[in-house]
Amino acid sequence: MSEGHLSLFYRELEAGRLTGSKCKACGEVFVPSRPLCSRCGGETETISLKGEGTVESFTVIHVPPVFLKDASPYILALVRLEEGALVMGRLIGYDPNKPEEVEIGVKVKFEALKEKHGEKEEAIVAFKP
Amino acid sequence: MLAEGVYIVGAGMTAFSAKLHANKTGRELLVEASQEAVKSVDKGIMLHKDVEALFIGYFTPEYYEHQSHIGPLAATWLGLTPKPAFRTEIACASSSAALFAGVTAVASGLYDVVLVAGVEKMTSLETERVTEALALASDDLSESKVGATFPGLYALLAQAYFRRYGVTWEQLQRVPIKNHYNGSLNPKAHFQQTIGQIAEKVGKKLGVQYKDELDFLKNSPFNRVVAYPLRLFDCCPISDGAAVAILASGRAARRFTDTPLRLLGVGLGTDNVALQDRADLTSLVATRNAAEAAYRTAGISPKDLDVVEVHDCFTIAEWLAVEDLGLVGRGEAPRAYEEGLTGIEGEIPVNTDGGLKAKGHPVGATGIGMLNEVWHQLRGTAGRRQIKNKAEIGLVHNVGGSGASAAVFIFGR
Ligand SMILES: [Zn+2]
Repeated sequence: MSEGHLSLFYRELEAGRLTGSKCKACGEVFVPSRPLCSRCGGETETISLKGEGTVESFTVIHVPPVFLKDASPYILALVRLEEGALVMGRLIGYDPNKPEEVEIGVKVKFEALKEKHGEKEEAIVAFKP
Repeated sequence: MLAEGVYIVGAGMTAFSAKLHANKTGRELLVEASQEAVKSVDKGIMLHKDVEALFIGYFTPEYYEHQSHIGPLAATWLGLTPKPAFRTEIACASSSAALFAGVTAVASGLYDVVLVAGVEKMTSLETERVTEALALASDDLSESKVGATFPGLYALLAQAYFRRYGVTWEQLQRVPIKNHYNGSLNPKAHFQQTIGQIAEKVGKKLGVQYKDELDFLKNSPFNRVVAYPLRLFDCCPISDGAAVAILASGRAARRFTDTPLRLLGVGLGTDNVALQDRADLTSLVATRNAAEAAYRTAGISPKDLDVVEVHDCFTIAEWLAVEDLGLVGRGEAPRAYEEGLTGIEGEIPVNTDGGLKAKGHPVGATGIGMLNEVWHQLRGTAGRRQIKNKAEIGLVHNVGGSGASAAVFIFGR
């Protein structure tokens, strides 16, 4: 039985590593890893990502989903990785009540954030300056 | 191309509201909207006898009413059993998918008369549960799990837009100010007060006087941040409601009315669900593709439009929509709104019914709710919000989720 792309992605994430897929046809990189390119449908190969990028957009969530009631407010960002993929992650290391201190274009680094979601602890994608 | 002509011979909707329908279920709202649609048919119609099939948009009945299998259930409540009936779902554009199913069913020649509808009974859940239900339209793994909410996704689009064009949140406030004004003219709108009227009421309670509408939006604690930079008045409300339209083929339409609307053009578009998989954060590609197809099938350009309904689930969405539909160029929305281009008396009125912001957004009902507005504007029955220019051609633009689905329909008299 071979492992699914997402199972691999989350297993790697739990271990603190970020993986993606690079299209063998067009070269586009996507996160999380996936069997086919979302741009051209070509076959992909799984790659390790360095986890360095810049913030392309961010928001501060003040009305969270129920499972994150105790975590709000928190910052979410879309980060453009050096390898080209855009990734959504939690932005840590800033005060969510001072959004004016976060700058679009700032360089950030990937970190796997362990967070309580109900009863279980899960790793999610996060970035910090 | 449409092989056969498709006509709208009737339309109806409930009021969109958080209070009015507290004691009603989705199926009852559908009945209410259908009864109004029946009344709107000039020469009369008997649903049981005339309607051959039924298509219904409802985004998450499983969440709100512990109910799936909406198609035949609605047929039962409308007295349409055993006609073919099924539910369509593309998030907030679910009833546009129903309309599309109805259009293709009639255009193919398969049926002469079909009923299309949309409904969402949202207020049965607490706000935080509704937030969860709406988040089902985003990518569960890449977005919801990381903490994204529906307003949060549009806030990310807003930030990217602000950054690219050097505009501010203050400039964006022309959208809710306009839409609340329009809503104040619409007896079926969720909010029928201008922001000025709301500011006065809130001000009295707090013992504050606001200089103008923008002062209130900027400085009132009432307008709290939901997902920075978007605040309460940047978001559409949670509403209950249903909307219905009756479609007929060219052969059948004249049996019901001498003044049907004709479907001129139709287009659907999709994009990657997750924002992180999109090529552009300052535009919705799904809208651009849907619009291009709709203009092409209709053989018209944006300049030919007299009245437009766009999907303003959040303020920024209206700016993206008017640009992606080609009403103005990319990055030109802020200036167009400063100049009042899209007001009821403007050159190209947008969301004369108050839009999702003021009219309300019972998710599954929204697309056909918009069609109801175009129905009234084109037939001259829009009352106090009737546009001053001659209304010959109207467009409906409905988006699913944060823009992974879009539908555009163009209607003429
Ligand atoms: Zn590719």
